[in-house]
Amino acid sequence: MTSERTVSRLSRILALIPYVLADEATGVHEIVERFGYTEEQLANDLNTVFVCGLPGYGPGDLMEAYIDEDEVVIDAAEYFARAPRLTPTEAISLLAAGMAISGSGQGSPELDSAVGKLTKVVVPDADKALSVDVSGESEMVGRLREAASGQKVVHIVYRSLSRETETSRDIEPWAVFTTMGNWYVQGHCRLVDAERTFRVDRIRDLQVRDETFARPDNLSEPGVGYTPSDEDIVCDISLSNRARWVLDYYPVEVLRETTNRCHIRFHSPDAEIPARLLLRLGGEAKLLRGEEVASRARELGNTLLAKHQ
Amino acid sequence: MQSVVERVINLLIYLLESPHPVTADEIRRTVAGYDQGSDEAFHRMFERDKDVLRRLGVPLELKALDVWEVDFGYSVDPEQYAIPDPGLTNEERAALSLAARMVRIGEGDSGLQGLLKLGGVEQGIGMEPIGADLGLDAGILGELFKAVTERRRISMTYRGKERRLSPYGIAHRRGHWYLAGETEEGSRVYRIDRISGLELGDNAGAFDRPKNFSVRELMNSQPWESGDDAAVDATIRFDSDVGWWAARSLGQKPPDAGPFEVTLPVVNRDAFMGWILSFGDSVEIVAPEEMRVDLRERVSAALAGLP
Repeated sequence: MTSERTVSRLSRILALIPYVLADEATGVHEIVERFGYTEEQLANDLNTVFVCGLPGYGPGDLMEAYIDEDEVVIDAAEYFARAPRLTPTEAISLLAAGMAISGSGQGSPELDSAVGKLTKVVVPDADKALSVDVSGESEMVGRLREAASGQKVVHIVYRSLSRETETSRDIEPWAVFTTMGNWYVQGHCRLVDAERTFRVDRIRDLQVRDETFARPDNLSEPGVGYTPSDEDIVCDISLSNRARWVLDYYPVEVLRETTNRCHIRFHSPDAEIPARLLLRLGGEAKLLRGEEVASRARELGNTLLAKHQ
Repeated sequence: MQSVVERVINLLIYLLESPHPVTADEIRRTVAGYDQGSDEAFHRMFERDKDVLRRLGVPLELKALDVWEVDFGYSVDPEQYAIPDPGLTNEERAALSLAARMVRIGEGDSGLQGLLKLGGVEQGIGMEPIGADLGLDAGILGELFKAVTERRRISMTYRGKERRLSPYGIAHRRGHWYLAGETEEGSRVYRIDRISGLELGDNAGAFDRPKNFSVRELMNSQPWESGDDAAVDATIRFDSDVGWWAARSLGQKPPDAGPFEVTLPVVNRDAFMGWILSFGDSVEIVAPEEMRVDLRERVSAALAGLP
């Protein structure tokens, strides 16, 4: 099969030609920025276009394509006056991106109308057939995004995900992002003097301070990964088939699989998360190993039983 | 030897400009780059190039050249080829550029690539400190979106079973992508990341989506609001330390102080209990009694599974 790179290159050429033919702004700098080219790549692609055309392939049959005093020139290419249609993958990616940002309350009237216009040309009732919702916490997300844009220090009251304790701290928010259905804010935490990621729905209160901070230049792409550490609590759990969904939601290691059971190893910074998971799974899971998790689950379970007598 | 890129461009020009469908043989004789090599080499090359055209979104058609359907020719309808102009203003394109940059679907950048066909990434949009990762490989989403928009029936393997359905819509909720559709047994919703062996039917327009169908409305519910269990109103009380959090996740105003009590309609018992128990021991089901019993049984079963 022909490589993805070749297909991308062709796709960009077929998008470039109609843009230049329409003769709006065709300065080399403009084109390079707009189409994500390096100048060298642009020159290469123009050289390729220059040797293609109608059968016969004589001087009068080929397209013209060159750079003239910092202007990109393409001519004799009427058959490429319009770009090809969006592929279904491109269409859903663009629409989903627009809908995600719009729906999270972080969009603009221009984005809404852009999504509307695009929807009309892709499929007239796409709004009934496609829905992307990453909302929830839109107020907090909006305030955090504003603070991150303005590089303002934020004071938060935060309920820790694993320890079930509340702490107050100042953070320097670098970026706000959503993944796996939750919103997170990533930044420097002044309480521990290190980079941290916080789940936005766990922020009980938030105050934007007047103080500004300097965002580091080369930020890593935000993401929530979990890196096991030596101090982790480790437990082994045997899941029934009905509990296999756990594999989709938690970063677990599969130890062994049979037709009706799956043995997993669960790493976590403390016992709380696996203990709650065990309660939730009821008879569908068996804890094979992990004393601290067992005792925390017993504690939680007994309190719940007492409450429901 | 010509590069693949040149050969495909020449092939596309020839197909767009030919007034009638052209045979593989004509293509071989006419288009630059195909004129060398054995029959076998030509066919391999031509198959690969047709695949490239399809991946570019070019509507390549194969048509019979005579009533006996002996000879077939290829054609590309210029009208079908060209993207209809959505008439985006520069401001709208800028907003869309920003969104495409902020949102990631899988590993690729199909959104940005699509944007090039709409006139490229608008300048001066800068970087915003906000992002969304919608997970999943965009490839299967594209295939399903094609099926949904072209109304093609699909067959697939889902949790080890073969299913056939008319796909009505696609939705992203709580970090996952879902496919909604109609099967012989009724309407169903599937997690897209669990779909494998997807195949699209040959016929476009194979079904009609019901007029009142809206995937948004279908999916706008809490997990315990869709299911087949007998409907029960459950009243729950959250301790004051988690009340604000529970209230916010339900989209309700948190109480100023003290515990948070709420009554919810439940038709999916498993989903409901799972949610309740994610609050550890800071929660109590107040009513009805049978749900209190249910919770007790689940917790007892969990405790019995501890070493």
